[in-house]
Amino acid sequence: MIIKFILNKKEVSIDVDPMKRLLDILREDFGLTGTKESCGEGECGACTVLLDGKSVTSCLVNAVHIDGKEVMTSEGIAKEPIGKLLIDCFDEPNAVQCGFCFPGFLVTSYHYVKTDGEKNLDKIKKSLSGNICRCTGYQKIFESVMLACERKPLMNANERE
Amino acid sequence: MKSIRKIDAIPKLNGSWKFLDDYSYKGMIHGQLLYSTCHHGIIKQIHFPDGYDLSEFTMVSAADIPGENIVPEPVCDQPYMADKEVFHFGQVIMGIAHPNRKLLREFISNTSIEYEELPAITDIKECLDNEKNAFGRELTIDHRTGKKPDPNWVHHHKIYYTPHQEQAYLEPQGMIAVWQPKDKIMFVRATCQCPFFVKEGVEAIMGDTIKEAVIETSEGIGGAFGGKEDFPNLLAGITSLLSYKSGKPVKIVLDRSDDIQITTKRHPARIEIETWTDPKTKKIMKIDIDYRLDAGAYQTLSPVVLARGVLHAISGYSIPDAFIRGRLFHSNTPSNGAFRGFGAPQAFAAMEAHIDNIASDLKMNPYKFRKINLFKIGDEFPTTQPILEDHLSNCLERVIDKSNYSKKLKEFKEWNKTHKDKKGIGISIGYHGGGYTGNGEKVLNSEVKVVIEKDAIVKIYVSNTDMGQGAHTTLAQMFFEAIDHPREKCRIQLPNTSKTPNSGPTVASRTIYIIGNLLRKFAFKIKDELGFENLEGYVASNQNEFPREFRMNFVQDPSVVFDDENYVGVAYKDYSWAACVTEIYYHADTYQIELTKSWSVMDIGKVVNQKIATGQAEGGVLQGLAYGLCEFFYKPGYGRMHGFTDYALPTTMDLPEIDVEFIHNDSPIAKGLGEIPMDFPAPSVRNAFHNATGIFINEYPLVPERIYSYMQRATDRHRQTQTV
Repeated sequence: MIIKFILNKKEVSIDVDPMKRLLDILREDFGLTGTKESCGEGECGACTVLLDGKSVTSCLVNAVHIDGKEVMTSEGIAKEPIGKLLIDCFDEPNAVQCGFCFPGFLVTSYHYVKTDGEKNLDKIKKSLSGNICRCTGYQKIFESVMLACERKPLMNANERE
Repeated sequence: MKSIRKIDAIPKLNGSWKFLDDYSYKGMIHGQLLYSTCHHGIIKQIHFPDGYDLSEFTMVSAADIPGENIVPEPVCDQPYMADKEVFHFGQVIMGIAHPNRKLLREFISNTSIEYEELPAITDIKECLDNEKNAFGRELTIDHRTGKKPDPNWVHHHKIYYTPHQEQAYLEPQGMIAVWQPKDKIMFVRATCQCPFFVKEGVEAIMGDTIKEAVIETSEGIGGAFGGKEDFPNLLAGITSLLSYKSGKPVKIVLDRSDDIQITTKRHPARIEIETWTDPKTKKIMKIDIDYRLDAGAYQTLSPVVLARGVLHAISGYSIPDAFIRGRLFHSNTPSNGAFRGFGAPQAFAAMEAHIDNIASDLKMNPYKFRKINLFKIGDEFPTTQPILEDHLSNCLERVIDKSNYSKKLKEFKEWNKTHKDKKGIGISIGYHGGGYTGNGEKVLNSEVKVVIEKDAIVKIYVSNTDMGQGAHTTLAQMFFEAIDHPREKCRIQLPNTSKTPNSGPTVASRTIYIIGNLLRKFAFKIKDELGFENLEGYVASNQNEFPREFRMNFVQDPSVVFDDENYVGVAYKDYSWAACVTEIYYHADTYQIELTKSWSVMDIGKVVNQKIATGQAEGGVLQGLAYGLCEFFYKPGYGRMHGFTDYALPTTMDLPEIDVEFIHNDSPIAKGLGEIPMDFPAPSVRNAFHNATGIFINEYPLVPERIYSYMQRATDRHRQTQTV
């Protein structure tokens, strides 16, 4: 089956088994290895990407589901202004440990900071509850996202979108 | 104390840092393990599914092993692959490879194995309650006086159980082997803690067919927590054999369900404690501890876990008459192995609960009871090692103070009188000996290498891996801060057994404590030897001397003398100390414990990088709390958990506010940090629940179904008493 979709703001098309997981398409067919497989059953969030602006676990999404849609991975988000802001905010308190879950956290927190962005710990905890991290105890992750919410208003208006 | 940023954080965030599964080699095929689904039995036949061209597959079994079918371990008793008989569920029988990963998975899941089943022990209590299952060397620490207990002393006798715990590193186990027939070199890329262990593992299975195994880690090691200490040796061996036989690079990455079911876990334990306490002085006068671990089907590294377990079994108390006995027990389950804490969390689980039991019985404040019995300078461990500092007591005082423990204890008692829900507060203490036990560091004789280039770039060569703990940032920092060299001119070589000297495994909280302090000393030594004030200036004006290589070995302090036979002497040169207070809110309608806040105060000596250390400690504390609260690995009648759906890891919604503080950080030496945060928090949860409800539960985790059954029992007992 030939599917067309927008990947990190570029139009792409691929001839693929309709049941192939989005996770495998990204990693094997496009070499985007920032999206990680950890549990393979939608529990841990390491493979989180944005599908039409919503965060989804790409291990549970098949090729047929992405035809005509827009996919953003951690590699794409890292180039966006809010993505860059978040990377700096994760880096500053040394929040990253093994880093295997972090591309997933970057995607989910990007979604939160972009669409909501309120510096509210309870809301942040809830928005990140689909991502598991085994190293950090989450506290520095909260700290980083809070920091990004605090700094977002300081960005140029066109960069906040 | 400078919190410099991590060298790898940005590439990890933007996805460019490579983990094991992100590597690919030309012509690479995929491998997987075919393992036993029977707990104990004779393999009768293996049925492969129809409709596949078997010539496309590469298969290896015990019969293909050119070297030895025994994995090198402290006790060499585990085969890489079962020959005729399997001794546990999850025992590897074959390695199978194919170019198509998806097809390979289907092929293996449709393969069936016929067994003649034999009796098996799979239940934790069935294993640990039966003395007949004991195997391997028994350890004893004998600090008895030979006197009989005074008849006035209060006797307490209790048995405590602790469960398995899954490391749950987010990156599953994985290995790539690339056979290079021209040079007879087996190159292996590994996500592992101990590249030199993996090298031994590959060389043992391959025997004379290879000249050498060269191991290099992946850039990223996605968490390990002990889980990547010894299992990678077995996995690397089988992956190498597949590469040798197929002539192609082979990659094996375990599915999460395979990883959870067949790899090593924290040992379940049964710890029986008897104490005699003087009711007048409130001092524990005599103790007898029977410490048992479920090793699984093979001993592998369990004797080393047992050693650390018995050496931490008495917790932080000075008891004049002590006897500790440690034994391994056999079951038909996968070998248990290393997990952050390494026998110590089990020890504190029992002893810290026992202390609360005695205090409650004597109607004493658990803090005051601890204070009376705590080690003091001049006391000794049961091994006769003298106590040289009172930092454990300092940790306890600080945490009691900052958590407002005594005030809350009273407040909660009042509040609980009028509420169905309950509030509780609990204490626990702990410590962790840094580095290998006893004479281990002497035997390891770790070596580090430094090369100074013509442009004054310093390259550090160590075999210790960065699996998220920030070791490579902190190790570099210890070197360049010592001689005031610019950070950007200091690099760490990715561990590779043909480039980095053997500075030992990345285990036992030894990386910063042994290797970091060695690098710091090394920096001063090089400075003295060359006689510079500023390295860059020196290199610029003495260009002909560079590049230059320097090497240095670790020399153990002569005071560390340990009698391995009798367990007498100095087991660890330096200890990290800790104390914890956790506050809970118990929801009576749902039988749920909600953690509200947890305070930890630790002495890890000099804190090299405050933010890295705090982050690592916070993560460890959460693992520790979850060990006591929610992590369930095995249920009778259900068996082992299969993935992150049934193994309950704490999410962002499950944690309390975690407060971590380091004291005595003006110390000249950086002590162990890796494990101590995991050792001590769990008992504080149980003690808080005990404080809240008066109900004592002698096993982890404190999940609602367990609390419910204990509550029912308590209600039934109450009814029975009323009827009588």
